[in-house]
Amino acid sequence: MTTEHAHVEEHNHPGPRQYVIIGAILAVITLIEFGVFYLSIDPALMTWIILILSSSKFLLVVGYFMHLKFDDVRFSGLFFAPFLIMVSIAVVLMALFFNLTR
Amino acid sequence: MAANIGILKRPVSTDGVWGWITTVDHKRIGILYGVSAFIFFLVGGIEALLMRVQLAQPDSTFVDAGTFNALFTMHGTTMVFMVVMPAGAAFFNFLVPLMIGARDVAFPRLNALSYWLFIFGAILMNFSFFKAAFPDVGWFGYAPLTTSEYTLSSSTDYWVLGLQIMGVGTTAAGFNFVITILNMRAPGMTLMRMPLFPWMTLIVSFLIIFAFPPLTIALTLLLFDRFFGTNFFDTAGAGADPLLWQHLFWIFGHPEVYILILPAMGIVSDVLPTFSRKPLFGYTTVVFAGAVIAFLGFGVWAHHMFTTGLGAWATAAFAGATMAIGVPTGVKVFNWLATLWGGSIQFKTPLLFALGFISMFMLGGLSGVMHAAVPVDTQQQDTYFIVAHFHYVLFGGSIFGLTAGIYYWFPKMTGRMLSERIGKWHFWLMFIGFNATFMPMHILGVLGMPRRVYTYSVDQNWAGLNLFVSVGAFIIAVSILLLIINIVRSARKGEAAGMNPWAGATLEWAIPSPPPHYNFAVIPTVRSQHPLWDEEANAVEPPPLPAHGEPHMPDPSYWPIVVAFGITMVAGGLLIWQANTWLGLFVIAVSGFIGMRGIYGWVFEPVAEESAERVHAHH
Amino acid sequence: MQYLSGIDDHRTSTGLDNRKMLMWAFLGSDVMFFGTLIGTHLIYRNRNLSGPQEEILSIPITTISTFVLLMSSLAMVLALAGIQRGNMGQFRFWTAIVCIFGSIFIGFQMFEFTEFAAHYGLTPRTNLFGSTFLVMTGFHGTHVAVGILWLWSILFASYKGKIHQGNSLQVEIAGLYWHFVDIVWIVIFGVVYLIGAYGAEGRALEDAHHAARAVGIG
Ligand code: HEM
Ligand SMILES: [Cu+2]
Repeated sequence: MTTEHAHVEEHNHPGPRQYVIIGAILAVITLIEFGVFYLSIDPALMTWIILILSSSKFLLVVGYFMHLKFDDVRFSGLFFAPFLIMVSIAVVLMALFFNLTR
Repeated sequence: MAANIGILKRPVSTDGVWGWITTVDHKRIGILYGVSAFIFFLVGGIEALLMRVQLAQPDSTFVDAGTFNALFTMHGTTMVFMVVMPAGAAFFNFLVPLMIGARDVAFPRLNALSYWLFIFGAILMNFSFFKAAFPDVGWFGYAPLTTSEYTLSSSTDYWVLGLQIMGVGTTAAGFNFVITILNMRAPGMTLMRMPLFPWMTLIVSFLIIFAFPPLTIALTLLLFDRFFGTNFFDTAGAGADPLLWQHLFWIFGHPEVYILILPAMGIVSDVLPTFSRKPLFGYTTVVFAGAVIAFLGFGVWAHHMFTTGLGAWATAAFAGATMAIGVPTGVKVFNWLATLWGGSIQFKTPLLFALGFISMFMLGGLSGVMHAAVPVDTQQQDTYFIVAHFHYVLFGGSIFGLTAGIYYWFPKMTGRMLSERIGKWHFWLMFIGFNATFMPMHILGVLGMPRRVYTYSVDQNWAGLNLFVSVGAFIIAVSILLLIINIVRSARKGEAAGMNPWAGATLEWAIPSPPPHYNFAVIPTVRSQHPLWDEEANAVEPPPLPAHGEPHMPDPSYWPIVVAFGITMVAGGLLIWQANTWLGLFVIAVSGFIGMRGIYGWVFEPVAEESAERVHAHH
Repeated sequence: MQYLSGIDDHRTSTGLDNRKMLMWAFLGSDVMFFGTLIGTHLIYRNRNLSGPQEEILSIPITTISTFVLLMSSLAMVLALAGIQRGNMGQFRFWTAIVCIFGSIFIGFQMFEFTEFAAHYGLTPRTNLFGSTFLVMTGFHGTHVAVGILWLWSILFASYKGKIHQGNSLQVEIAGLYWHFVDIVWIVIFGVVYLIGAYGAEGRALEDAHHAARAVGIG
């Protein structure tokens, strides 16, 4: 298993160069988020912008820094199954607590 | 590598009491879980009997209201967290590695830690009896009732901390079994060749690792409120929402009820084929029904809160989801019945209990679907009807199923058969006693008797049924006595069991009873769902040990109990802190140090022998 | 069923390492842990009877601390890449950077907490916001601290020869934990700080003027 693995790594895995690039992208997105905060726009629009930007940071870290994009799909299952459950629960809770369900 | 940092050398002996304290053998840990669960079963049972004495007659003064509160709280907490869960864990531990063809679980020392955390947490909670009083806030500990504003007694602190520690142990066990089942199967043992019991264990383990964190958080927030004056549940002073706790608790709580029932479903799904001599009907369907139940189980929590005014849409959605979850449950029932259909059935005791499980669990499921209908539930909420429901699923379901497991696997665990004659008496007494106890509760509920009342008056007309119920409870007690007698008798002079007394199909029957500590002299290679049926194998002798001798098994270790002790005493320090700040801080610091020291000792424990836990990946 | 000889006891059914799988399962479980904490914070928004809430969050300062934590994640992958290639120098340098950046992040958090207490009187006991916000971010900070301790121990062990290219998996697993702590922060920064404080910023400026006047510099 391990030799195969190492083999795959050679081809697919990003190396330090790509890591630095991703780090730079993360920093830039954070900067954009910071900027968006000081725009006077519709709060709903602002919420969506931040959600999208933050999700991309999230996915970059999970996919590249945590290697999930290149790793076994079962690891993704272990991580994203509870993630989806939790997001759904949180959304339902917010709907309930903000009286959206009456 | 062997730089041994510390005072404690890795022990090697497995003899005597120390052998049990330091054990990392999944079979021994299973037995520890089983024995502990049984002891707590007796404790919880006595609590129940005391309540039934009180309720047998109207206006009774056998116990007072406060004591009654403590009794139902500890009865519920004990039965859920210290009986059914560890009893399930006992079977997971003893059987799952055997059934999937492994030598141990993936992380043997973590497994020991789980057990010690469970038992220490349970002891801590019960210890409140000697320091304050028994907790008296209900098994679901609703805040704000449990905040210090309304419950000053430190018994609630014991409840919170004890539950927290047990929860950590349980979660650790959940991780262990997820990895064990995914990763430690014998060659050829694909997931879809696994017996149902390991399958349900896998699903339960997932439920545990995903459902316990919300409980951990809920307990932590309550702990902070009680100890440090935060405001999470401070409705009066800070505007907290009185429903927050209910949501968090039931987000955990509903998956929890599946944690309690799925092990029994797994047991029954393996018992039925053996005694009807034909494979489980619709194997794939039963597996997927289990998975679907688990998944949907995260989306129905608010059915415990129908009367709190969630709003029409939410209520309707949760009612729909709750009814939907009855479908895969029903699917399983049909599969079990179809398994029996046309089989050559042998009415041995394990099968009797399995049949008891199916019938009684089904009744509980039906009453469940009844109060999934919101208007009906509005009438039934907080009445004895609910008490009837959850006892049909938990006693009629979980306990009957687990008892089937005891009769089925006792021969494997001890090498001796339980008496069939006493077993049948046990079954019929328990079956009759169970129905006498809980069937009338449906009627009492419909008549309007609220749950958790410590007494009632003559003119409410509940006296006759209540007396009947109490008599039933004592019949159950007698049946449990028979079980004890049976176990004690058989352990000493029961008939020798041999490898495969029931002619079962699965791997645990391919090795001696009781199994050697390394389980399999040679790891089997599996080619079908019923390895012992599909092949010449019925009479297969286990192969001799290979020439290079016994397989290497991990040595015992002190660290699990040390770490568990450290964690528990940090909680103990918190309790002391309330009375005596400095002493408390001192205890916390010392036990924190012990815990940390334990973790480092654990990590750097010399690799005396290879174990799965310590194999180094070679990159 | 057969008994074949020569079966490797230590192979795993999936070919994946037990401990790495354990870490992923743990992270999945930790998702539920932090999800519940963040969810609790969100459903309690704007319910305070008194006291400060999101308007006191400092976006500029937190952007910097977020940046520091993100960069520590970058350092972490570089450390891992180092040890996987057998370059212990690279591994040690970047691991040390991770620990240092992690500590800086905690420093920011301690500054934030004391600032809140000193200037706005916000403690976990003040109001709902104080309870949910401080406990949530406090638990995150604790996770960071555990990560620092862990990586520090690994760094130390590498000098004793216990961590090397052959068991770089140890570093990979600790790294997974570290990145997870980072993504939790990405969520908190986005949802709790930026979205949470967005409408409230005007008030924050106003409050800043009040505060400035109060201390005599406005
Ligand atoms: C067909 C499946 C089931 C359905 C539709 C169902 C439905 C319900 C509903 C709606 C309630 C809330 C009643 C109320 O408080 O007003 C409830 C309570 C309860 N159920 Fe079930 N249930 C099912 C299966 C189970 C199983 C398998 C278990 C456990 C093994 C279980 C254990 C409980 C417990 C312990 C309570 C009461 C909790 C309490 O208030 O203390 N249920 N059930
Ligand atoms: Cu439920």
